[in-house]
Amino acid sequence: MNSVSPNAVQYTGGVMHSELVDGRRPQAPAQKGSFGLRPPQSPDPSKEAGGEPEEMDKLKAKLMSAWNNVKYWTVKSKTSFNKISPVTVLGHSYLLNSEQVERFRLAFVSRLWLTYRREFPQLEGSSWTTDCGWGCMLRSGQMLLAQGLLVHLMPRWTWPDAQQLTDVDFEALRIRSPVRVGGVPIPSFGSPRGSGTPEKTPPSDLTPNRSEKKRFECPQNRQAEPVHQKLLTWFGDQPPTPFGVHQLVAIGKSSGKKAGDWYGPSIVAHILKAVAHTSVLPNLAVYVAQDCTYKEDVARLCDPPLSQTPPESDSHAWKSVIILVPVRLGGEALNPSYIECVKNILKLECCIGIIGGKPKHSLYFVGFQEQLLYLDPHYCQPVVDVTQVNFPLESFHCSSPKKMPFTRMDPSCTIGFYARNKKDFESLCSAVTLALSSSTEKYPIFTFVEGQSHDYGLEAHSSNHTSPAPHILPPGNPTRVNHRQNSDEFVFL
Amino acid sequence: MPPLERSQRPPPPGKPFKQRKSFATRKQEVAGIRSKFPNKIPVIIERYEREKFLPPLDKTKFLVPHELTMNQFVTIIRNRMALLPSQAFYLLVNNSGLASMTLSMAQVYGDHQDDDGFLYMTYASQEMFGQL
Repeated sequence: MNSVSPNAVQYTGGVMHSELVDGRRPQAPAQKGSFGLRPPQSPDPSKEAGGEPEEMDKLKAKLMSAWNNVKYWTVKSKTSFNKISPVTVLGHSYLLNSEQVERFRLAFVSRLWLTYRREFPQLEGSSWTTDCGWGCMLRSGQMLLAQGLLVHLMPRWTWPDAQQLTDVDFEALRIRSPVRVGGVPIPSFGSPRGSGTPEKTPPSDLTPNRSEKKRFECPQNRQAEPVHQKLLTWFGDQPPTPFGVHQLVAIGKSSGKKAGDWYGPSIVAHILKAVAHTSVLPNLAVYVAQDCTYKEDVARLCDPPLSQTPPESDSHAWKSVIILVPVRLGGEALNPSYIECVKNILKLECCIGIIGGKPKHSLYFVGFQEQLLYLDPHYCQPVVDVTQVNFPLESFHCSSPKKMPFTRMDPSCTIGFYARNKKDFESLCSAVTLALSSSTEKYPIFTFVEGQSHDYGLEAHSSNHTSPAPHILPPGNPTRVNHRQNSDEFVFL
Repeated sequence: MPPLERSQRPPPPGKPFKQRKSFATRKQEVAGIRSKFPNKIPVIIERYEREKFLPPLDKTKFLVPHELTMNQFVTIIRNRMALLPSQAFYLLVNNSGLASMTLSMAQVYGDHQDDDGFLYMTYASQEMFGQL
């Protein structure tokens, strides 16, 4: 059962607090030699040379995969959780001083874990049969999309076969028997709980015992297994799966990316939007915010005008929507005044996580307890043939939660939200706006605005200038070198 | 969004504006231009020093109308760089915080102008991720 649980790999080393490990991590790249320091995008000379690129790539992939796994498991240590402050996982908080430990386990282990894979069918137009060493951001993106799909298709679902947590230290706390339920409910921050959102968990302060009991015994979770399995087949690394790495790489070509390149959280957001559009999910749309989230653009996406609606469909049905907001929360490092803001976003029930990472190392952030809690795609597993009946599911779930300090978070990230319907979207807008106002920075990191994007562009700017295109760069030669004598003049807008 | 070809690479980045000119010079410059154009805001826009994807601008000093919104300002610069809508582009005020797109330049200037009288902004795309 625990085929990928860290228990399966013996490692030595005692209890080590994550703070200590994180303190050591900055030195890690130096030990990796040229691999870790490979500049992004630099083309592999062996591929360009046209000699024997396949052999080179394969050898390289094998070495990378082996090194990756050595590193993944030998650096392994226990993640410590305290029982004083609640741990938040995607809008739900659990106080680990109670039976909520069990709920936390289900909440964490039920997330879908998409990692590097090896020995999958060759990626078209390349010799790659693994994404180990370059595809981590794509994997984080898959995890974000998978979470959106879980909420969309299986709200409140937890995996009945979820593994026990491994490599965790609850500060000498023993997990009590889950038979007796109770515990202190922790209200989550600004949860939009409108009457039109039946998929949300009922407020736990009303009926904690009943709702928790239901959670543990829920037969629906067992009945939902076929959906769980179906969902995972969509992420299989075999073409023609809709969200597998082959499809993501194919779509990424329109952004100038190819197999082996490094990806960013914004590009991945656009890739997810494109794959969701051609997908098996007719009632789900993906919106990527540019500069602002324009409410009317979202509305048009979810509720296309009648003329565009096929006559047989229910024109009143609002599509559910995943909203992806790519941001940059600072220059070289995360602006510390945004930490509170990131926490408050992760406390929202409508949040489906954040894809970003540490510099060069993509992670999927799902929550926090003092530090960020994440799922790490950097573990290279053999591909799973998802076309087999009853293919093993264990390698798609992670039993070992990990943490890192907020201060190490790379400022580039994409934040994900989900709204089931129009009412849900309205409450999402107000809940997110409230969460964003918590920053000590003067301005929120993004905003929801009425109207459409083109209402706010240059068309709306009533300037006295006849030409809205002032001379900033010479047209047609956008990268001309500086001329110091010109660069000192003011440009009038 | 491929990185810039070697031939297109920007020249080695010069010193940031603040280091090229003394505080007194900059202050004087702002005073001069503000007296001539009281309805315009002096803005310095520079490329994030480690930016790998966005092209450099050949100008750093802009005079911007008060009522122009951040959104319009960003659109002007995006257009001139010929960026695709899907390309990431962020303007960081004082190289640290994002400014809401609905704010007017006057508001941002009021909140964040430097002691020398300029408003400083840095533009950057997003970092790429990939590692063992």
